[in-house]
Amino acid sequence: MASPSEPGREHARLEELIAGFTDGELSWHQDRAIQEHLRNCERCGRELALQQGVSRALALEAMPQASATMRQRIEQLRPISRRRPAYWSGRWAAGAAAALALIAVAGEVVLGGHRGQAGRPIAEIPMLRDARADCRRAMARNFPRKADLKAVAEGLDFQVRALDTADAELFSTWKTTIAGSPAAGLAYRWRGIVVVQYLVPHEVLEQQPEVGEALRGAGFYAASELGQGVLATVANGCGTVLVADAPPEQLRRLIL
Amino acid sequence: MKAEAKRALFHTSTLPHLDRLVTLASRWGHGQEAEDDVQETYVRAWAAFDQLRDVEAAFPWLCQILRTVAAERYRTRARRQELAFITELEKAHEELVASDEPSPLDELLARRDASMLREALRSIPEEFAEAIELHDMHGLKYREIAQVTSVPIGTVMSRISRGRQLLAGLIALRGQEKESRRVGT
Repeated sequence: MASPSEPGREHARLEELIAGFTDGELSWHQDRAIQEHLRNCERCGRELALQQGVSRALALEAMPQASATMRQRIEQLRPISRRRPAYWSGRWAAGAAAALALIAVAGEVVLGGHRGQAGRPIAEIPMLRDARADCRRAMARNFPRKADLKAVAEGLDFQVRALDTADAELFSTWKTTIAGSPAAGLAYRWRGIVVVQYLVPHEVLEQQPEVGEALRGAGFYAASELGQGVLATVANGCGTVLVADAPPEQLRRLIL
Repeated sequence: MKAEAKRALFHTSTLPHLDRLVTLASRWGHGQEAEDDVQETYVRAWAAFDQLRDVEAAFPWLCQILRTVAAERYRTRARRQELAFITELEKAHEELVASDEPSPLDELLARRDASMLREALRSIPEEFAEAIELHDMHGLKYREIAQVTSVPIGTVMSRISRGRQLLAGLIALRGQEKESRRVGT
């Protein structure tokens, strides 16, 4: 049997790294090598699309909830102190995890304040559904450690501008895909909560069911499910979606 | 640490992960079984809470305990009976990446039934399914998955890569089967 040629071996070696490239887990050198290889290798381009597609679909899977009786049983193992522990306010990750628990129960929806017409659940609006799923993943990973607007704006054909609010501290940025469109994710600490902002092309936001009508009418879309607020609007010619463990009325102060 | 403070810390660092653990446990057992495993996990976690050095890493730590609980009940082996035929999935994956035609995968994923992916996850080998579930559904990083599953990071990457390939192959195969049935009727 003929052994693979040198380019063939190199291709096989790089193909094995595509999952790591998809997930942002490679070293800088490996990342560069894959980017270079992808320019000329159609097969690896298809493999990359496959890895991204499956990963995105899995991130959107609804998760079952623990039953109320089970939650009760576990809480009764050692009852929770009614006093709010100091730990809670000081650790962003714990706050994010609590928000995560709220996001994880999507599906059983309590609508709080749609400005649209039909009161459609957020899970049925692709861009908002994907934004919440991406937010859940970013929170679960405690957010990318870098906040680099210039890097995140590279390659995007819309402006990436951070919120212009004195008390919102930008601490993380990342590139992502929302409803099939390239998007920028920006995370802020604001008044004791984490707010995640997604910047997307405004036309994609306007095409979303119910959101488009709300934007044309009130100029913004707002909804709330199980304590998590979502606010969408167009600002500086760019679509913006805010997601946070706060009522949308509160989020309006950040942007409108 | 005082008992009251320890209890509060235990709850704030572990209870937010309850739903995710039930999701993970459902890969080894259904309904009540999954909940029993998670409850057992919390009992053991409380007993060993002093060993958790970084409360921010509570989820991977809980996953590790849950795996042990599930493995003790030998459930992972029973699941293997339902495995799809791997070479068929590899062939279907190869067709997806080697073909010049537009890939049907995106459309199949967009049209998927609510439970389709979870069922597909049950049909590929355990080690691959577990790695992609921990990464893509629960947001663990490679090094955290390596810690939970006790394998090197390179193995995690290869399992995730191969797991997604097999899953894509399975989805493509099921899509073809559905189409054949539709055309046949």
